[in-house]
Amino acid sequence: MMVQVELSSWQPYRPSTASPWDLRRVHHLHRRAGFGANWGELQRDLDSGPHAAIDRLLLGNDVAEDFDSLQHLIGDAAVSSSDIHRLKAWWFYRMLYSGDPLTERMTLMWHNHFATSNLKVSNVAFMKVQNDKLRKNAMGKFSDLLRAVVKDAAMMVWLDARANRKDKPNENLARELMELFTLGVGHYQESDVQEVARALTGWTIRDDAFVNVEAYHDTGPKRILGRQGSFDGDDVLAILLDQDAVAERIASRLCDVFFGENVVPAGQLNELAVGLREHDLDLRWAVETILRSEAFFAENNIGNRILDPIQFMVGTLRSLERVHPPPSTFLLAEWSARLGQDLFCPPSVFGWPGERAWLSTRTMIGRANYATALLQGELHRPSQPIAIEELAQKYGCSTAECQTRFASELLFGNDHQTGDVGWMLRSTSANLG
Amino acid sequence: MRTNRRTFLGQSSVVTLGAMPALACRGASTAALPKSNRDGKVLVVIQMSGGNDGINTVVPYSDEGYAKHRNTLRLPVDRLIKLDDSAALHPSMRSAADLFEDGRLAIVQGVGYPNPSRSHDTSMAVWHSAEIGDENTLRPHGWLGKAMDSRRAQAGADVSNAPDMVLLGDESQPLAIQSRRSIAVALSNLTDLRLRGPRWEAAEQGTRNSASNSLENFVGQTMQNAMATASALEQTIEQSHRGGVVYPSTQLGQRMQVISTLLKCGFQTPVYYAIQSGYDTHAAQMPTHAFLLREFSDAIQAFLKDLDSSGLADQVCVLGFSEFGRRVTENGSAGTDHGTAGPVFIAGNQVRPGLVGAQPKLLDLDGGDLRMGIDFRDVYQGITANWLGVNQDRASEDSQHSLKIFKGSLS
Repeated sequence: MMVQVELSSWQPYRPSTASPWDLRRVHHLHRRAGFGANWGELQRDLDSGPHAAIDRLLLGNDVAEDFDSLQHLIGDAAVSSSDIHRLKAWWFYRMLYSGDPLTERMTLMWHNHFATSNLKVSNVAFMKVQNDKLRKNAMGKFSDLLRAVVKDAAMMVWLDARANRKDKPNENLARELMELFTLGVGHYQESDVQEVARALTGWTIRDDAFVNVEAYHDTGPKRILGRQGSFDGDDVLAILLDQDAVAERIASRLCDVFFGENVVPAGQLNELAVGLREHDLDLRWAVETILRSEAFFAENNIGNRILDPIQFMVGTLRSLERVHPPPSTFLLAEWSARLGQDLFCPPSVFGWPGERAWLSTRTMIGRANYATALLQGELHRPSQPIAIEELAQKYGCSTAECQTRFASELLFGNDHQTGDVGWMLRSTSANLG
Repeated sequence: MRTNRRTFLGQSSVVTLGAMPALACRGASTAALPKSNRDGKVLVVIQMSGGNDGINTVVPYSDEGYAKHRNTLRLPVDRLIKLDDSAALHPSMRSAADLFEDGRLAIVQGVGYPNPSRSHDTSMAVWHSAEIGDENTLRPHGWLGKAMDSRRAQAGADVSNAPDMVLLGDESQPLAIQSRRSIAVALSNLTDLRLRGPRWEAAEQGTRNSASNSLENFVGQTMQNAMATASALEQTIEQSHRGGVVYPSTQLGQRMQVISTLLKCGFQTPVYYAIQSGYDTHAAQMPTHAFLLREFSDAIQAFLKDLDSSGLADQVCVLGFSEFGRRVTENGSAGTDHGTAGPVFIAGNQVRPGLVGAQPKLLDLDGGDLRMGIDFRDVYQGITANWLGVNQDRASEDSQHSLKIFKGSLS
């Protein structure tokens, strides 16, 4: 049952003279909520207005007919090869060709939230199963997502659930479950971590699947977040999901993804958290609220977020229509690792530090070199250098001046950029979106 | 628009590892190499993988047990490089001996841990994590990873965006540099740091609104820094081609050269990690061991010499360790099997030089193995606290002491 709450600071966006539905906002929508759009998509959404454009993103049904069978083929081949590079390439394939880029974006967000690295898990099948769970629940109820992902073979290995036994507890899963997955620091005590670890004893994997082994479980009474009982793992999840802090943490995660620096004030964040609680932690509700909001399209939320490497890479490929014929997704996976975002290998349980930390000397040089490789066509085999003139001509731009404006509008949603495409891709703006 | 199944599968199944063409040297620059702007201490770890035979590395030549236990593997005493009247270096460690004489090398003898494991995996995991125990012991993080986590916690927001730890080479990331939240990256070669295509700083001249926000300033500044680094890198490489310090053309030598290049270019990463494999010498040990010890010694010497000439030597300390030493008695195939304690090497201008700890006694063995003299965790503690400046919570039950490894106020 849904309770309608008043979200005063999350009022829906309505185009006005101050914030018109212009190319810049269409571009912004695609860059933040997906992986960029090509000229045709930008024009289509410009014409149809914000409501229809956001509908399209939320529905995510703009799928090429053979997408699903192909991604299955590639994903299954990756698993049977046991080669994690092939799984990375599979995900890049999805991000390039999925008709539902918003869900891929959300899947990436949850991969960062439930950060699990194959460096330790060392099992491609486990990583794929986890990734599919993230995707399936990416826009559903957070409770379903949490239950699916926490009771997952990859997670069990990653956070040493197998070492967590009665009388010999291992706190790794318990701590991350509270600190990172649900509550955040400050909303629990060290004693809660110890007690949750006891409650989680018994959870392990056998024959590559989650099991709850009674013999390993500590059945004694525990005290968790002020409640008393002979709790087990499922009880723990129920208790955690009942805490107000969960909604705050999810709200803040979502705002990290959809807003730039210093955009969302605490009050507004809190209101989103309240709304999430009222909606039973329904992620789709929260994402829709955000995407339809005045705040999302506000001037101070445009171009003020550092693009993650994958947005930087995939966004450019999609805008420049470099996906037919396809680029080498293996190369893309290598590049993204070089730029600091190695899929399935986040650096720690905290995931990628993100934001300003995306940019270091090494990754900045990497971004410039990626732009060079892209322009010289090296991502394709055989190589296909980019001729922006041809693309511009396709959309009716014949003069050099018009072509420059076209490139600027296509890549940045504005006509402020000058110079050639290479120049533009190495500019400050290319890293912001 | 449809993805063509055949095209896609055909092209994407070709794994092309990024062998990018090296950037041709830019026109010879007349400008002097920019002075490195890096600050803070640097630790370079060399992992001698496989279990180094410490007895034939730092040879207890006057110990009667040496002749008794080593027959085919006994190094001729007249060829040993004597450090004092009882210890000598392997003849192929001339470079290390030079460092020792220069007062830039400490050799900690008989380093190990209680109830040692002779499994490569377990013992390496013990050294990596600084957690003693069997293969079932939980070891999610490494000692360097934990140190870098503490450093981040201490420094707060002041930590630069540079990775905390860099692994040189293409080996998989060792547990030592795994952490809860610090960043470790692998770098197999310098290509990733060299700018291809045109330089782009001028693009920022005409920034559209001068009252640009702080994020734009940050991006612009990072870009300028990256440009400067890429440029310094080109010059450093060019200069080293023109009669800089000559590094041995071994794998370890080349890796040390890359580390030095990064330091000279101002990289702020405090921990570098390089792996030298091959020490698992169960048979025909002599030639292999001699090569490895030469590679190890020559690489460190070239590295420190190079840093000296760049004015960076005071900031750098090199640590060489192996997961265990080998058995005192040789086996039947002119090799040695897995043992226990062994020497640890610490080199650098700020290192308190000399032999540290008691020389292992070859006639007073523990089940055929050397007795441990110094716990490796005391070595780590000396390095993290006094070199990297990291205060870590110590488990009091381990009763660890910090080994006095560094000169003067560094204690």
